[in-house]
Amino acid sequence: MGISVELTYDMGKAIGQHRFELEGASTVADVVELTRTRFEGGDEFEKLARVARVAVNGVLIAYRKGMKTKLNDGDRVGFVKAAAGG
Amino acid sequence: MIKGYAGRVLEIDLANQTFSFQPLDEEIARDYIGGKGYGTRLLYDRTEPGIDPLGPDNPLIFATGPLNGSVAPQSNRFAVVCKSPLTGGIGNATCGGNYAYGMKRAGLDVIVVSHAAERPVRIEIDGDRDHVEFFDASDLWGLGTYETQEKLGKKLSHAVIGPAGENRVLYAGIVSNERIAGRTGVGAVMGSKNLKAISVTGKRKLEMDDPEAFKTYTKDVRELFKDHPVLGSSMKRFGTGGIVNTTNGRGILPTRNFQSGHFDDAMTISGEYMEDHELVGVKTSCIHCPVTCGRDVEIEGKGRVKGPEYETLALLGSNLEIADLKHINVWNYLADDLGMDTISLGASLSFAMELKERGIWDAGIAFGDAEGITELIQDIGHRRGAGNELANGTKKLSEKFGGHEFAMHVKGLELSAYDPRGSFAQGVEYATTNRGGCHVQGASMYMESVGPLTINPQNMKLKADIPVLMQNNASAINSMVLCIFTTYGMIPKQIHDMDPSSMSFRAISKVFENLGPMMRIAMGMKGNPMLWFEKWLTYITGTKFSSGHLQEIGGRIFNLERMYNLREGLTGKDDTLPPRMLNESIFDSMDAGHPLDELLPRYYKLRGWDADGVPRRSTLDKLRVRV
Repeated sequence: MGISVELTYDMGKAIGQHRFELEGASTVADVVELTRTRFEGGDEFEKLARVARVAVNGVLIAYRKGMKTKLNDGDRVGFVKAAAGG
Repeated sequence: MIKGYAGRVLEIDLANQTFSFQPLDEEIARDYIGGKGYGTRLLYDRTEPGIDPLGPDNPLIFATGPLNGSVAPQSNRFAVVCKSPLTGGIGNATCGGNYAYGMKRAGLDVIVVSHAAERPVRIEIDGDRDHVEFFDASDLWGLGTYETQEKLGKKLSHAVIGPAGENRVLYAGIVSNERIAGRTGVGAVMGSKNLKAISVTGKRKLEMDDPEAFKTYTKDVRELFKDHPVLGSSMKRFGTGGIVNTTNGRGILPTRNFQSGHFDDAMTISGEYMEDHELVGVKTSCIHCPVTCGRDVEIEGKGRVKGPEYETLALLGSNLEIADLKHINVWNYLADDLGMDTISLGASLSFAMELKERGIWDAGIAFGDAEGITELIQDIGHRRGAGNELANGTKKLSEKFGGHEFAMHVKGLELSAYDPRGSFAQGVEYATTNRGGCHVQGASMYMESVGPLTINPQNMKLKADIPVLMQNNASAINSMVLCIFTTYGMIPKQIHDMDPSSMSFRAISKVFENLGPMMRIAMGMKGNPMLWFEKWLTYITGTKFSSGHLQEIGGRIFNLERMYNLREGLTGKDDTLPPRMLNESIFDSMDAGHPLDELLPRYYKLRGWDADGVPRRSTLDKLRVRV
């Protein structure tokens, strides 16, 4: 089943894929590293991911265990930008 | 007369087709500013408890404030106040477009429409000639809001209803240009009076106390807004739809009638996707507004029309499990043209879908299937077939067919597009806001779950404090009358630009989260004006307004609304959330739903209300709320 990863719109546009499944990631740090490899060169990833926060199943990792947050099969890891609604 | 006001209230009696110009009550203007505040005071004073919202005794009050008629960004909105036919409590809504500007140019602060006409009428007001004319509107009756405005021409500013208002759909709105005073059924009240349109014209100028200071400062604010990541960038590029991916990522995007907070296909209904695939232009229908959050899209047979904003994308998109933006574009156009609120409409549709899913009642529509929705929206606007049931809103649907536990409303007003289980302060705001389940009478979610400086939205810290401050602030803003989006500028660019994972950002967030009492003290201080709207009010009226002054005035307005609701029979028991929100968890971080029971006592205490949610005499006296 693996981990479902959802990117910000700009990140997804850069690699032509907004959502993908990852196998072999046991922590958020693993997901971030494996996602980074999908970008050509690290710079673009750094630039686009810098403004995003990471959430696991909708809860920011700042309120879990940060990059060390452990993941289970079927979890959803999202890169999320701040925004304002209406 | 206080500067910034036209000094006149126009009284219109539709039954006798008479009118008179009365002086603005300066005491009310000082205590309640204008807009929603002034309108609420009039409604409270002029009506008997228990009136029929759709009867002739319910006045329809259009009210502007001292910022209207100026060129201040985001400053041309008017408020409509009346008893709500949807909730039975306080009804109000604000609207952009150009009508507020038109009212002030006509020398009008407030228009009070009383009683009802026997046949369809429309009104033209020439403020320069002090003249009001009543016209037969039979030729316009039945027309959509777009065609109605087209026929009325561009020389005057109009506020109109569509078929939904005429047919008293309980969530019908009032439209100016392409904007709508959408919530609480103000359009149904206008329809009950057989009033199709009010048009205003005039060439009066707004008198300010210090026009030079206003002019110079407004230039600075325009620059500030231009550089702001939300007001100057994301709103311009994506409209409010830029938030779809954020609420989805945070697990609070209403999906499948709030059964979930995550929609797999959210990307295709987002503002970013709209920019890339659907956008054909940007609408600037709110006069003098540099933010330009309106989108233009194309739909078959109609060409270029206003596109959907966030609430519509969520309530007519993810919440129905519809991932095709083209469908939402059409439904948004239809709702605007029929003249009804897309939030209540979307929630009523999703409720009907869940009723069908559970085998309770079949309105002919199902989650994830666009078939039949276009026709049903038309039927709602015209009260035909199943549409006649949906036209009464979610609460009344649940009273007739059952399903109370998944009827997504508070006090009868359907919830906006932020699931409170991932936004605790917003949940308290929904539960306590006087007009019901709404987000623009506070916008707490910006401070906890979607904005840049977010605090943990799922613990108890500040979750009762933030709504009080934000509701007071919004009550004042809705009385100036300014767009609530201006609050998004309160978090400066520098915070937006910080790396959210950096130590300094986390430190600021931590400080913010732990400074609840200090925040209340700071916002309550009556010092010098700091924020742009405080300065504008000060330059225009000549009276000093600071955060403390606005908190006090906002609190006064909020408590008066509360007293109105109590007078109409609402109680503290109505300060609740739908059972689904309280009992069902959608997060692995929570065992249950929203902890409202734990937060409400503190909210009441902060408000100065007793354990039943009734404002204490001392609170009313302190705020000078006369009841």
